[in-house]
Amino acid sequence: MRLISLSLALSALSVSGFVQSVAAENTVTIPSFVEETISAGIDSIYAGEWEYMVGGGVATFDCNADGFADMLLAGGTSNSKFYRNSSARGGALQFETQTSGLELDKVTGAYPVDVDSDGVTDVVLLRVGENIVMRGLGNCRFERANEIWDFDGGDAWSTAFAATWERGAAWPTIAVGNYIDRREDTSPWGSCTDNWLHRPSVVDGKTLSKFKAPMALKPSFCALSMLFTDWNKSGTPSLRVSNDREYYEGGQEQLWHVEPNKAPALYTEAEGWKALRIWGMGVASYDLNFDGYPEYFLTSMADNKLQTLASIPQDGHPQPAYNDVAWPKGVTAQRPYTGSDLRPSTAWHAQFDDVNNDGLVDLFVAKGNVAKMPDFAMKDPNNLLLQTSDGKFQEAGAAAGVASVATSRGAALADFNMDGLLDLVVVNRWEKAQLWRNTTSTNAGRWIEVKLQQPGPNRDAIGAWLEVKRGSTVMRREIFVGGGCASGQNGWWHFGLGDTTQAEIRVVWPDGASGDWQSMDSDNFYVLERGKPAKMWVSKNPE
Amino acid sequence: MNAIRKMAAMAMLVVLASFGALGVTAAQASTTQPQEVLRTWYKLSLELVRHTPTYSPPVASRSLAYLGVTAFEAVAAGSGELQSLAGQLNGLQAVPQREAGKTYDEAVVVQAAMAFSAQNFFENTGPTGQRAMAKLESKLRAEVSANLPADVVIRSETYGRVAAAHVLAWSADDGGAVIENMGFPMQYQLTPGAAHWAPTSLIVQQQKPLLPEWGKNRTFAMPNGAACALSAPPAYSEDKTSEFYRQALEVFQTKRDMTPEQRAIARFWSDDPMLSPTPPGHWVSIALQILERDNVGLDKSVDVLARLGVAEADAFIGCWDAKFQYDLVRPVTYIRRTMDPKWEPLLITPPFPEYPSGHSTQSGAAAEVLTKLFGENFAFEDATREGDGLKPRAFPSFWAAANEAGISRLYGGIHFRAAIERGLEQGRCIGAFTNALRTRR
Repeated sequence: MRLISLSLALSALSVSGFVQSVAAENTVTIPSFVEETISAGIDSIYAGEWEYMVGGGVATFDCNADGFADMLLAGGTSNSKFYRNSSARGGALQFETQTSGLELDKVTGAYPVDVDSDGVTDVVLLRVGENIVMRGLGNCRFERANEIWDFDGGDAWSTAFAATWERGAAWPTIAVGNYIDRREDTSPWGSCTDNWLHRPSVVDGKTLSKFKAPMALKPSFCALSMLFTDWNKSGTPSLRVSNDREYYEGGQEQLWHVEPNKAPALYTEAEGWKALRIWGMGVASYDLNFDGYPEYFLTSMADNKLQTLASIPQDGHPQPAYNDVAWPKGVTAQRPYTGSDLRPSTAWHAQFDDVNNDGLVDLFVAKGNVAKMPDFAMKDPNNLLLQTSDGKFQEAGAAAGVASVATSRGAALADFNMDGLLDLVVVNRWEKAQLWRNTTSTNAGRWIEVKLQQPGPNRDAIGAWLEVKRGSTVMRREIFVGGGCASGQNGWWHFGLGDTTQAEIRVVWPDGASGDWQSMDSDNFYVLERGKPAKMWVSKNPE
Repeated sequence: MNAIRKMAAMAMLVVLASFGALGVTAAQASTTQPQEVLRTWYKLSLELVRHTPTYSPPVASRSLAYLGVTAFEAVAAGSGELQSLAGQLNGLQAVPQREAGKTYDEAVVVQAAMAFSAQNFFENTGPTGQRAMAKLESKLRAEVSANLPADVVIRSETYGRVAAAHVLAWSADDGGAVIENMGFPMQYQLTPGAAHWAPTSLIVQQQKPLLPEWGKNRTFAMPNGAACALSAPPAYSEDKTSEFYRQALEVFQTKRDMTPEQRAIARFWSDDPMLSPTPPGHWVSIALQILERDNVGLDKSVDVLARLGVAEADAFIGCWDAKFQYDLVRPVTYIRRTMDPKWEPLLITPPFPEYPSGHSTQSGAAAEVLTKLFGENFAFEDATREGDGLKPRAFPSFWAAANEAGISRLYGGIHFRAAIERGLEQGRCIGAFTNALRTRR
């Protein structure tokens, strides 16, 4: 670990009629990452031309119940590659190729979700062509389940995914975002194809273990990221959709009401929704200011956005109006911070998580030119923006060793060797995916990782909120599957704890019921099963 | 233009040497009308304007102007009616002639010239634009070449590319060929003082104004960027009795009391980069709709598109010359300072100085040129923004449309009245230079 003192002295900036003057002294822990792509056995390229210029995701999930996160890397025109995690705890990263059934071509992205709530993770494959739901059979074997679950995979250029369990439902609702009509060759602009909402099939009031025919979410504006999120703490997640303005006409970012037994409906201007038109490419979400409401980071080209609610009235019912605080928070990340190529950046996957375990989530952003667009940087380093104690972020990608200038797309921060430090995998277009081990271990802050379980439907408690007390601060994270750039995760949820040795944790379950605050030792893994005391996880295969 | 493109253009010019000063024969007709080919390429070009970040309105106007001149010169060389613009447009030398006694097909000539021109003047477009251009060229090439003798096709394609390369080479040193950082300078010293432009956006790039040197570019038909100079805007003042305050109050009150019709007008002409074909593209779109509606022939089509492109490009150079001479503050900055710190305009405030209004100047220039080409009371309907869900609007004349485009900027809260009214007059002055061009023998 290195501690650096960051003297931030930004000159007075006259912006939109107000003046900002910032002068602060902050200390932040710079993490260390070591690339272990080759030694870990990772050898995967996201390949393909025009129809694969977007996508390029990775899914991380534990499919053999050993606690370690395995992964699937999208391959585009090549087959996707599955890797079983064979790392030792705290050791170098190690993966083995294993035939899983997930090795299909035309895959743009992948999201793990336990569709049938049998305790074995399933995987939804987004594709150019038919999307496929792969049912987990255990021991990292999967089989196609479109037919048995009546999942209509359609025939589109799918690029976004989100899943939720609507209130009272025994079967998930899946949103799929689709891009342009790939058959429009001379004028593809304005040809955004419909996004789909796959809801549970209900007969005589009983939810079947099947999907209904998907309904079109009209209008659709070329979604590149989707997220079910309870933005207003109403107890009912809404569907946030980030859209690529490159291709839509009359479009904008979207927020959908998705309420049980009702047709989805867009939030309107009358409800406070403010139009935003960007090259929307990825969504990351976290409650950064500890007010209980999530902030949203939206990746784009040149400036990125960080949205925080414009106001939170005393009645706790905010309007969906957001202020962009990317600049004052230091996360515009609009152009490369290393090298001589200073053209604007192109950002894709984004993820908030705590890479130095100081108790403040950081932000990773994957960067890379769409192809060879001359207006944008070709050597575009990925960002690792560390949050400092004043809520601002400081670039540390180069210092931490993750400033790859490959043409990146999807990514995941995940603790692959279960040492409490989040490692990093990044998918690259036309180049090999990269894997870094977080080696900050000796001096990083404390941490805790938890896995949620509840009986019955939605076993992994998608839509729950995890709350962790760190001193007087309550850190909250929403448990979701979706967002990012075609990349999803399931498994351990990580919190950095700083110097806290004993964490108080509770779960607000998806139905709104709050569990008890429970005390847990830092630097451990816990399984939080609904209605039961927290259980420290112990490996079945102790080293 | 990158080095490879420059070399290709020069190679084309070497090829033309073999043509010599030759006459023209009647063309053997393709089954596809050349004016249809022309319009098809223009429609794609408007998509490329919209979907390529480089194409802020000034940059778009430049590309559209060269596209128009390319089409005109390629066709004029084979027309008994059209008079070349060589010697009339600043720095344009005579375009190589066609081979005397040889047959050319105008649709093939136009297709080759426009394909070459689009690929060069929109070279910054992304993979989708590149793919669309390649697909369109392939499709149109097959259509126009069908059933034509191979020698006619080869000769016509070669000439189309030669004419286009000539224009491309001419364009290289006009000052606008290289756009970096989407037109925002990496270094720029803002003019101090409350009267002057201050950034209005939270986008980092836009803390510097767009294209501060654009007013120094070589003009097309007018002598230079200052040829239609403007008098100074009302003197800056925060005194409530001043003309400056009065004009700002008008913007403030208009937003407060906005009617649905005013809102519709502001939206219709907003023409934001990346969300529309931009203001110059909007006027080209109007022209294309008329050319298609009235099935206008090839000679007049290239005349219209060349003149319109030239006038628009000159308008942006002239307008930018004035903008950076006066460097005036935007309404949003002034109104927040003096009236309401939370005031928001209806439209996104563009990231450059206020006076004069660019949309007004270029709309005035467009109206001046189109009025001369089509007549004083030429009614038309404009469906440019239909794809974005904005209803078509009908106008009794080009000047009616230009006046509406101008006042839309006041409704949108991004310009004061003086910038609009004087911008329109500046456009009229600039358009007159284009109208003085001789395009008929």
